[in-house]
Amino acid sequence: MSIFDVMGPIMIGPSSSHTAGAAKIGYLAHRVYGKPISRVQIALYNSFAETGWGHGTNKAILGGILGLRVDDPRIKRSFEIAAQAGIDVTFEQKIDPEKHPNYASVTFRDADGSHPFVVEGISVGGGAAKIVRINGAGVDFSGKHNLLFVTYRDTPGMMALLGDGLGARSINVAYAQISRNKNTGEAMAIMKLDQPCPDELVRYFRSQPGITDVVAINKLGSEYERTEED
Amino acid sequence: MSSLSTSWAVNMSALKRTDQLKDVKRIHIQGLSSARRLMTECDISTLASFFVLYEATNQELSEFEVLDRMHAVLTAMRAALREGLEHPNRTPSDMIDGGAFLMNTFIEGGGSLLCTPFSLVVRNALAAAENNACMGRIVAAPTAGASGVLPGAYLTIADQHAVPDERVIQGLFVAGGIGECIAIQASLSGSRHGCQAEIGSASSMTAAALTSLFSDDQNAIESAAAFALKNVLGLVCDPVAGLVEIPCVKRNVMASVNAVASAEMALAGIKSVIPFDEVVQAMDRIGCDMPNSLKETSLGGLAATPTAVRIAARFENRRT
Repeated sequence: MSIFDVMGPIMIGPSSSHTAGAAKIGYLAHRVYGKPISRVQIALYNSFAETGWGHGTNKAILGGILGLRVDDPRIKRSFEIAAQAGIDVTFEQKIDPEKHPNYASVTFRDADGSHPFVVEGISVGGGAAKIVRINGAGVDFSGKHNLLFVTYRDTPGMMALLGDGLGARSINVAYAQISRNKNTGEAMAIMKLDQPCPDELVRYFRSQPGITDVVAINKLGSEYERTEED
Repeated sequence: MSSLSTSWAVNMSALKRTDQLKDVKRIHIQGLSSARRLMTECDISTLASFFVLYEATNQELSEFEVLDRMHAVLTAMRAALREGLEHPNRTPSDMIDGGAFLMNTFIEGGGSLLCTPFSLVVRNALAAAENNACMGRIVAAPTAGASGVLPGAYLTIADQHAVPDERVIQGLFVAGGIGECIAIQASLSGSRHGCQAEIGSASSMTAAALTSLFSDDQNAIESAAAFALKNVLGLVCDPVAGLVEIPCVKRNVMASVNAVASAEMALAGIKSVIPFDEVVQAMDRIGCDMPNSLKETSLGGLAATPTAVRIAARFENRRT
């Protein structure tokens, strides 16, 4: 543990789990989505639902979604900022004893309500948070590693295509997980990479037949955790 | 790099240390006594120097980077206190309603029962804790709910004595080191060990930091940390309606005053019979014995009083 975990984080109050953790879920969720936001629907579960209003959990998670860091005072005005940007925001509160006490589900959509993209996350205490589900697939993403997320038509050879692209650029895969939806024929691959995936490779993958979406998320670095400059 | 680092360079180069620690990849400690044993072995004279080295080594940063980071913490902590004093702080629940402002009026009216600086500790602890409750920008030290204690007692007294920033920053490393020793042996989380782990730890960290401003006697620093934690052993986490407001804000005041008293006792030469690490281990066992209803669940203690239950029911329909 770092001394700065004790003497920190620097954050917007009042709760590291219900405010800072919520803001981080929002921030990670938008990083995973990776596109400008038009519509977002946020579901807060359990303790987030019960005490969230008094902890500013709603403002914090929306602030994170808008790209605000946990210590950004604009978190207090996140609803205003979203409205000014013309983003359609809806909230709901749910109780589900099966889920983690501090659980949130964020659904991004296109302006016409199409293309839902669902990111779910938990706040694990002390301001730390992680994404646990992306469009239904279980993941474990806390911003500490590089993530590559690809959706594609379930056809043979797709893993080879991804592996070749990464291997040719000396990018090592630390972890990979693939899954498919038999009904839609859509599959997804989630990979943890030792090196960040360059934009050029993301564009290359996107241009390949059968690939429907590619999101590359670099691990959170100093731009998120940076300390105050004065 | 800030000008601060330059002035620190002189101090840090004077830091005595054997090659033994210089080349290690990681410094492991089990608590304060093992930290102090290492200090003796390596001829490091103060806890502040030790924890600067500890952080730099374990996080693979330079000592300058570590010092600069703590400077940022100090700046943020001061700003949080300022923000809390700017205007009456009111939470959406109305349970926190301008306490620091009322204290200020009381002080300006000459109402202090002891002396103005004592009342300033009370006022500033309130202001910083209220600022947290009102979504202000704060330093969670060690937690957001206990973020009023260091600003309330430590910053106020450092200001009263015009302690230079370098020394104030050294004290923050003492505070952080004490918190680290508690985290290693017990917990800093109210949901795991009750309020004793949050407010108790904050008070202990603050007492040690305060003592370090006025004495280089490491035994006195250890005693101060032990006194402050001993005094709040068993304190439960029972927030009304699950919010970081009642009783959290006023417990920041209690912890601040307790820290000052503990530091004064230690500076007077009074020694803690029970060593700090054993107090922490006792806190850990008490935390394990504590029922869940008293660990941030709002099912027991103050949260279960008729008034608190009425308040919580009033908020049921505010879940938006």
